[in-house]
Amino acid sequence: MEKLAILVVEDDPLARKVMAVQLKDHAVDFAETASAGRKLLESGGHALCFLDLQLGGGDKAEGMDLIPLAAARGVYSVVMSGHDGEAIVERAYELGCDDFYSKGNEASNVGSVIARYLNKKEGAKSDVFAERFVTEDAETRAAVKEALKYAPSELPILILGPSGTGKTNLARVLHDHSGRAGAFVAINCSAYTEDLLEAELFGYKKGAFTGANDGHKGKLLAADRGTLFLDEIGSMSLKMQTKLLKAIEERSFHPLGSEKAETSRFRVISATLEDVQALIKAGKMRFDFFQRIHGLTVELKALARRKGDILPLIAALGRGGKRLAFSPEAKHRLLAHDWPGNVREVKRFVELLAAGEEGRVSPEAVDRLLRTVRAEQGSSGSFASEEQYRFALENGLTAAADRFSDEIIRRSLDDNGGKKTTVLSDLKISTRLLYAALARMRGEPGEL
Amino acid sequence: MSLEKLIHDVNSKCSSLKDAAKLLPDASPAEYKELLALMVKQARALADQLAALERAP
Repeated sequence: MEKLAILVVEDDPLARKVMAVQLKDHAVDFAETASAGRKLLESGGHALCFLDLQLGGGDKAEGMDLIPLAAARGVYSVVMSGHDGEAIVERAYELGCDDFYSKGNEASNVGSVIARYLNKKEGAKSDVFAERFVTEDAETRAAVKEALKYAPSELPILILGPSGTGKTNLARVLHDHSGRAGAFVAINCSAYTEDLLEAELFGYKKGAFTGANDGHKGKLLAADRGTLFLDEIGSMSLKMQTKLLKAIEERSFHPLGSEKAETSRFRVISATLEDVQALIKAGKMRFDFFQRIHGLTVELKALARRKGDILPLIAALGRGGKRLAFSPEAKHRLLAHDWPGNVREVKRFVELLAAGEEGRVSPEAVDRLLRTVRAEQGSSGSFASEEQYRFALENGLTAAADRFSDEIIRRSLDDNGGKKTTVLSDLKISTRLLYAALARMRGEPGEL
Repeated sequence: MSLEKLIHDVNSKCSSLKDAAKLLPDASPAEYKELLALMVKQARALADQLAALERAP
């Protein structure tokens, strides 16, 4: 997180110490009196100031006098007070303070204030819709704007939408606007069997199960003070939902094979392309789990329902590369196409465009590239797809072969409910190869 | 001392004590010692303030 210059005006030594710990990642100046605070404010350079109101022994709320000075200098001023009567709060806002909280629970208060400050600053300087989440569609913009309002809060967010509509991108934008100090940690729940998902999320200790030669830090711990993004949440088993629900509610969990509970203050953003209500009705999603993950629901439409986004997306995704122009007929064909793979398909189209086209792009070239993208997405008739070929060129054939076999093994594990013996006999592979693939899936070397 | 000020002081001082106590589990040994010393001082100051009020006519 960005290191901020912060001024704290506080006469209570213990409160100053608490603030010093809470703000340890920032450059902080402390003032014990209103006059010392005034001098530091006048010297400039602070982005935020936290003001206690009652400074010194008297009854007068001296800290209040510093609010107009902070406002005049463009410093984001925050009142932290033992007084939270309506008249005091009103007066502080009248004088130009940006934020006000009652003392107590500083760990949460200070984090939330900084998140609100960063959100305000980000909102002022960047246009999310031009840079991070390109859309001209009024409905989509309204949905994203609404979600951004809640980015600094702890509220869980559920993102719905067809595959490739930008759910992961939106989750990352929300994290970047959250002001949370921790990392953005994403996991695709559909890519793991139940056992592997549990190991990935909760982590495990050495020797927790066969093959666990080393301990592994889970995603829940990795997302401490950050965001845990659960993609394809609809594919999570009921058993896993129960375990995760408990971890979310208690902010505490046991890694596999560990007696010691770990704590993690992660915020949950989840996504699915499935109909959540149908999942609940069918008994595939627990209602209490759904309640816990859907504080705010954002729905992203398929690109076919927001065709005004196609040309801006092509322009944005091609930014930084060579500039191309489309003939009117070429544009017409781009807009006539339904883009079933959504933004992901546009991205691939732009990659192919940049690799093989020059200057003005003809309608025939558009047709040809769209056919290529479609062939890659569907069955191309070729055993090695264009993506696999390029991956092998970039990373070597061994890495490509490993990736291919890992995908096949993962799919076979899914189809067989995680039964390794069935996978071994179905795929006619050795135990060694299976465990090497499992190790790679966990991010370990997995060499044979 | 006004009762309004007393309410403010009790609230502020107890809030700091509570926040400081929450920091203790993750504090380094030096920080733990420093926090505890400040907490003791804070608690004594509050007790002194209440005692003064008790003595007042």
